[in-house]
Amino acid sequence: MANNALGYIIIDGTETQIRGAALVTDAKGFPVDFVRTDPLRPDQLSRILYGESFGKYAKEKLILESLLDAVETDPQIWICNDADILAPLREKSRIKSVLLEESPHVPLDAAGHIETTADPGVFLIQANTNGAPFRAEFPGGIRPEEVQQTGAILTEAAATMDILEPFARLEKALNFLASGARV
Amino acid sequence: MGLRDFIARRVSRRVDVYRIDDFSVEPPETVSIKKRVDTVRLKPEIACDVSRPFEFSEITEKMKANAVNVKLAEKMPKAHNHRIKHFVKEDVKTHTLQFTKKPKTWSLLKQLQALPQERENVLKYMKKRPETLRNEVILACYGPIVEGGVLKLALNKQRGTLLVWYKAGSRQLKAKYAYLIRRLGLGGKPEWRWE
Repeated sequence: MANNALGYIIIDGTETQIRGAALVTDAKGFPVDFVRTDPLRPDQLSRILYGESFGKYAKEKLILESLLDAVETDPQIWICNDADILAPLREKSRIKSVLLEESPHVPLDAAGHIETTADPGVFLIQANTNGAPFRAEFPGGIRPEEVQQTGAILTEAAATMDILEPFARLEKALNFLASGARV
Repeated sequence: MGLRDFIARRVSRRVDVYRIDDFSVEPPETVSIKKRVDTVRLKPEIACDVSRPFEFSEITEKMKANAVNVKLAEKMPKAHNHRIKHFVKEDVKTHTLQFTKKPKTWSLLKQLQALPQERENVLKYMKKRPETLRNEVILACYGPIVEGGVLKLALNKQRGTLLVWYKAGSRQLKAKYAYLIRRLGLGGKPEWRWE
C-alpha cells in the first residue's frame, strides 16, 4: 500500500455504453495502479427491468465494484467526479472518499484552509497555494474529523502534484482506448 | 265465398271484413345452438415468495424463474352442447433471464505511465514573484513539479501547457515550480528556471 497515494475513479458513458477506470497515483501524480473496464453495453432486458435506475445500478454495481475488486493498491483517499458513486465508493472501499471539483470561489486565506458552504456535506478546501479552492462534496453523515483529515491529505498532495490533473489523463486514456487504438 | 258475399259484392260492392283475434298456429320451436364452456378459476394463484428484499447483486448474473408443483386447474372445464376436442395441457416453462454482466477489467499501468502529466500556467495565481527572479520577465509558471523525478519536459505551445514525464521508480518528492523567463535587457531567448 502506498501511504501517500491518491485514487481516482471515473465512470462515464451513455445509455448504451458505460465504462470506467481507476487510477492510483503516488504523490507526484505518477501512476502506480491503473485499471479500466471493457465498455458495458446494457442489454435491452436490463434496461426494461431497471428502467431509469439502470444507469445508477450499472455505475454502482457493475462498474464501480469491478474496478474496486481489480485495484491492487489501496490509496489513502478516493477522489471521484460523479455524485452517483460517491456514497457507494465510500461504503464499498471503506476508504475516505470525496467528490472534488474546481470552484469559481476566490482563493481562501491559506493552503489547508477549509470553509463550510450552504450545502450540507459540501466544503471549500484550499489545498494548493496557486489557485481557487476545491469544491469538496462528502458522502452523507460525514464526520468533521474526516473532513479535516481529507483537507490535510489534499493539501499535502497539492504541494507536489496537480490534484485534479489525473482526471484529464484518465479521460484521455479512455477516449484513446475507445477509439479502438491500443495504448 | 258464400252466396251472400257474392250477391253483396255484385249488388252493393261491399265485402264483410272479419277481425281474427285468435291465431291457432303455434310458433315454431327454437333450439339454441350456442356452445357454452364453463370457466374454471386457476388455482393455486401463482405468487412470488420473497422473504427478504433482493439486492441488485443477487440478480446481476442470472435469474431463473422456477415453477414447482403448479397445477393450473384441478379438473378439465365442462363444455355444454359440445365436445372438447383439444385441451392444451402445457407445462409451465422456465426461462433463464440473462442480465448485463459485470464488465471485464484490464490493468494497463505501463501504458498509462507513458502518458505525460499536463501542467497549466499558474502565473495568474501567483501572489508574489520569487526574489531570485526580480530582474527577469516571467512569461509562465508551471508546477508543482518534482524536479528530481523529471524524465522529460515539453512545452505545448498551442495550449500553453507544460507536459511532464516522470521517471518510474523515482522517490524524489521535493517539488518546485518551473518558470519560463526572459532576462531584461539582453534580448535573449526565453529560458527555464526552477524555483
